[in-house]
Amino acid sequence: MIRQALRRNPWSFLGPFSTQVLAAALVTAGLGISASIDRSPMAAAARQALTESGLPDVAVLFMLLAIYLSIIIVGVTMAAAIAQQARDIALVRAIGATPGRVRRALAAQAAIIAVPATLLGVPLGSLGGRAWIDGVVTHGLAPATVTFHPHPAALPITLAITVGTSLAGALIAAIRPSRMRPAAALAESAAPRRRIGVVRTATGLILVTGGSGLSVAIADLDAETTDQLGLYVMLALCVGAGLLGPALLRVAALAGRLFGDVGRVAGDTIGVQAKALSGALVPLTLAIAFTAVKVIMMKTTQHATGAMPPAADRWLTFSGTSVYVTFAAVAAVNTLVTVILSRRRDLAITQLAGATRRRALAVVICEALLVTGTALVVGVAVAATTALPLLHTTLGTWTPWVPGSWLLTGVLGTAALVLTGTALPAVLAMRRPPIEVVA
Amino acid sequence: MESVLELKDVARSFPRGIVALRHVSLTVGAGEFVAVMGATGSGKSTLLHCAAGLDRPSAGSVRLAGREISRMRERPLTRWRRDRVGFVFQSYNLLSELTVRQNLALPGRLGGPRRRDIDEVLAAVGLAGTGRRPTGELSGGQRQRVAIARALVTGPSVIFADEPTGALDPTTGSQILALLRRAVDREGVTVLMVTHDPAAAAWSDRLVLLRAGTVATDAATPDAPTIADRLHAVSTAVAR
Repeated sequence: MIRQALRRNPWSFLGPFSTQVLAAALVTAGLGISASIDRSPMAAAARQALTESGLPDVAVLFMLLAIYLSIIIVGVTMAAAIAQQARDIALVRAIGATPGRVRRALAAQAAIIAVPATLLGVPLGSLGGRAWIDGVVTHGLAPATVTFHPHPAALPITLAITVGTSLAGALIAAIRPSRMRPAAALAESAAPRRRIGVVRTATGLILVTGGSGLSVAIADLDAETTDQLGLYVMLALCVGAGLLGPALLRVAALAGRLFGDVGRVAGDTIGVQAKALSGALVPLTLAIAFTAVKVIMMKTTQHATGAMPPAADRWLTFSGTSVYVTFAAVAAVNTLVTVILSRRRDLAITQLAGATRRRALAVVICEALLVTGTALVVGVAVAATTALPLLHTTLGTWTPWVPGSWLLTGVLGTAALVLTGTALPAVLAMRRPPIEVVA
Repeated sequence: MESVLELKDVARSFPRGIVALRHVSLTVGAGEFVAVMGATGSGKSTLLHCAAGLDRPSAGSVRLAGREISRMRERPLTRWRRDRVGFVFQSYNLLSELTVRQNLALPGRLGGPRRRDIDEVLAAVGLAGTGRRPTGELSGGQRQRVAIARALVTGPSVIFADEPTGALDPTTGSQILALLRRAVDREGVTVLMVTHDPAAAAWSDRLVLLRAGTVATDAATPDAPTIADRLHAVSTAVAR
């Protein structure tokens, strides 16, 4: 079954694979940074100052991020990969595979691809870690004697982490598909289930309420605690929004009606695909929210106090944010590609039913814009919930301030990302004559 | 005659008030070849799924190979199915990236019984020497032969077949039916087959016609033209 899945839909594993590459790189970089700080020759006073500057914490933060994000995003991308195997799962369930066995096989798929992903990610992480240490020294955040030292046990530690997180993410993603009655699975692949689970909605609501509650609760604490807890507010809100994603996308689908016939078809498709597409919503929301929080904090501080933060601080913030955003962007694009590729047949049928290639593409682009819109609205809402208490504790203001050009860049960037994940694979998929795809 | 399959007042309804089966009772003896027919939506696939333990009835009981399965937990049910039942579906029957031999070895690798030798079963379905070929390269008829071989390899008491000839031309289809017939006659396997093709149903011993989730007629199988007439009668009765 593992072999079948890996051979039949190799592209559907691109999502978990690239997530694992990034996670491995991040862990390796984190390990390398911490080893470099430990092993570089430094005067005791300089070491003391460096430790107090919080730089070693960055290494730990990188690793924690890698663990959180890879469990969530491997889970999300594996869910898409598992959905492609619904028929095969139904078949092996019918001929005697227990739910537990199916779950283990699916988790093993994720663990197996984690191995090459780690082998690729570790050297990338060493390069990244080296660049980061160089950056730290260039910006005067650490003495020049600090040079990059790769962590001696980087490979085994990283491998353990990527395999572990992949197993965890995949096992979570596999719970529902493995428990489905085989008859339901045989029928479901013909007509995907459109109902949204009660447990899913309830968990989503709990996470969103909990996240918002925490956000209100920390607004009056000291700045440092708020800053630390802010991450959890955001994670809870993003995962919650992801669980509520199908419902949110269905609302967005209604908005499609404003754009005429093409919009109506796009809206209908989103309604049907809401569940698969919401897999892309989680990473997109994470990326938008995380960037927005950082930008809001920085720009509002600048606006309110009239002073630019020191270049070194800005560099630190941006290096951290870019890591986060790369992670999420790769995951979002991968999930979207998986969704579009799984629809090759539908696209071909649309064409056979009389749509020109241009019109079929217009529908895909309209879908992309609706997904972008949803992600932006949700992402900004999450960012606002996360950032406002931070603003209040650090600056005493409730009003965020962001320059218009930055907002525009954010909107265009998100749209570009979504179009890369949808329109591009759709164009490639539609290059084959539709009748060939259907047959 | 010892009964292998016993459905008592089985009903199955789905969310949104769709009722697929209402109080269906059916007893199938060992070594019987039963064809189930009916119009689209008459509940024939649901009947097969409930009888085979792929789905659970909303009410009523199902005894399969001497054991009540409608209330069994998923894991023991899966094992029971694995050890006593073989399946042949219309399509998507096999793992396309694996070879013929790997597909036949699958039930065994999933912990099922290995009662029969793979090569012997392959020879019995006329596929000797194809063991190393990927199933994706085979023709539709050959794939269905592999599916029957996979169903036979565990030495099951019942084979459930859901439109086994649905995707095949009449000549290839009758070769597949001849294989099922031979399994019944020579090995004493019980076959429950859902089909909409009167020519396919004519290979069976007993014909069960469903109408709107209930058994309309249950009698010895007549010849193909008579089957077509009866099927037409129960189908139009629904439309009216």
